[in-house]
Amino acid sequence: MSTDNERSDAVIAGLAQIKPAVIPMMPSSTLRRILDWVVQQPDIRSFPVTREEEAIGIMGGLAMTHTPAVLIMQDNGIGNFLTAVTTFPQAYHLPCFMLIARRGGINEYNSMIHLISERTPAILAAADIRTFHLDETTPLDHWTTTVVKGYEFAQITHRPVAVMVNLMGG
Amino acid sequence: MPDLSRSDALRIFTELFPTEPAIITLGATVRELIATVGKRDNDFYVLDSMGLPVAIGLGIAVGRQGNPEKIVVIEGDGGLLMGMSALATVGHLRPENLVILVLDNLTYASTGGQPTAATTTDFVKVAEGCGIAGVDADDEASFRAALAQARAATGPILVRMRINTQSIKTPYLLEDPILLSAPFRALLDRTRD
Repeated sequence: MSTDNERSDAVIAGLAQIKPAVIPMMPSSTLRRILDWVVQQPDIRSFPVTREEEAIGIMGGLAMTHTPAVLIMQDNGIGNFLTAVTTFPQAYHLPCFMLIARRGGINEYNSMIHLISERTPAILAAADIRTFHLDETTPLDHWTTTVVKGYEFAQITHRPVAVMVNLMGG
Repeated sequence: MPDLSRSDALRIFTELFPTEPAIITLGATVRELIATVGKRDNDFYVLDSMGLPVAIGLGIAVGRQGNPEKIVVIEGDGGLLMGMSALATVGHLRPENLVILVLDNLTYASTGGQPTAATTTDFVKVAEGCGIAGVDADDEASFRAALAQARAATGPILVRMRINTQSIKTPYLLEDPILLSAPFRALLDRTRD
C-alpha cells in the first residue's frame, strides 16, 4: 500500500494536469502537503475561504466565467455547504469540482471528527452529488487519473462532482 | 423612516447601472426588481441561496479580473448577515471591479418583517474593517452619490442604503433557474475580455 506522502503527490500530479487558474481552499492539516504545493504555484491564484458555503458561491461564480477552478476542503465541512451546493451549482447546472479530504478513519487522531466524517459519503449521496473515492487500497496510479477525470466529469456534466481522498489511509 | 422603498432603490440602481452584471439576492428582491424594471439580461437571479450573493459576485469578479466593468451584488441586511464572513475574503482579494449594495430595511421582510441584527450592526464599519471601502446612504440624493462613488471606485466598495419596509405585491417566480440564468450567462460570455 502507498504512503500518505505518495498519495498526496499523486493528487498534486492530478492538479498539475488540470491546471486550475483558481483554487479556493479551506485549512486542513491532512492536506498540508497539497496545500503547500498549491500556494507555491505562480500560475494558480489560491486563497483561503472562511467557510465551505462561501467557497461554493465563489466556485459557481468562477464557473460562469469559465475559469478553471478546484475547491479543496475537508469532509467535516460538508455539513456547512449542503444548502449552497444544492441550491446554487446543482440548481443552475454549474460545474464545481471539489477535492475533499476524508477524516475520521484509520490513523485518525481526533476523537470526535468521525461523527461527521463517517457519514459524509451517505450525505453526499443523499444530496445526489456524484462522488469518487480514493483510499490506501486504491492503486496509486489510479489516484492522479481519478482526480483529473473527476474534474473533467464535473465540466461535461455541468454539476458539482467530488473526489474524496483518504490521505490518512482508510 | 427612510424615504425610499426597495423598489425605489432598485429603480435608481438600474438607472445608474443599466448594463453591468448584477447578482440579485433572493426571491422577494428578485420579484420586486422584475416588477419594477422588468427582466434584464445582466441580472443573475439568486432564487434560494440566502447568504451566497457576495460569494457569487466575488467569484465572477475574480474570474473577470482585468475587465473594468463593475460586478454588482445586491444583498439585503438579513442575507449579508448570513454570509458576512465573505466580506473578509473580498477584503483579502480586493477585486477592483466588485460593488456590494446592501438594501437595509432592518428586517427579514420576506418572512414577515422580523427584526434582523442589522438594527445593531454597522455594515459600513464591518466592510471597512475587512479592507473594503464603505459608504452610507439614506435618501435619494445620498444614494445617487454613493452609487457614483461606487462606479468610480478602484477597489471593492460596499454601499449600505437604508430603505423603508414598504414592498410591492408580486407573483411568485416559478421559472427553471437554468433557463432564468441563461441570458445572464450568455451576457458574461459576450462581454469576456
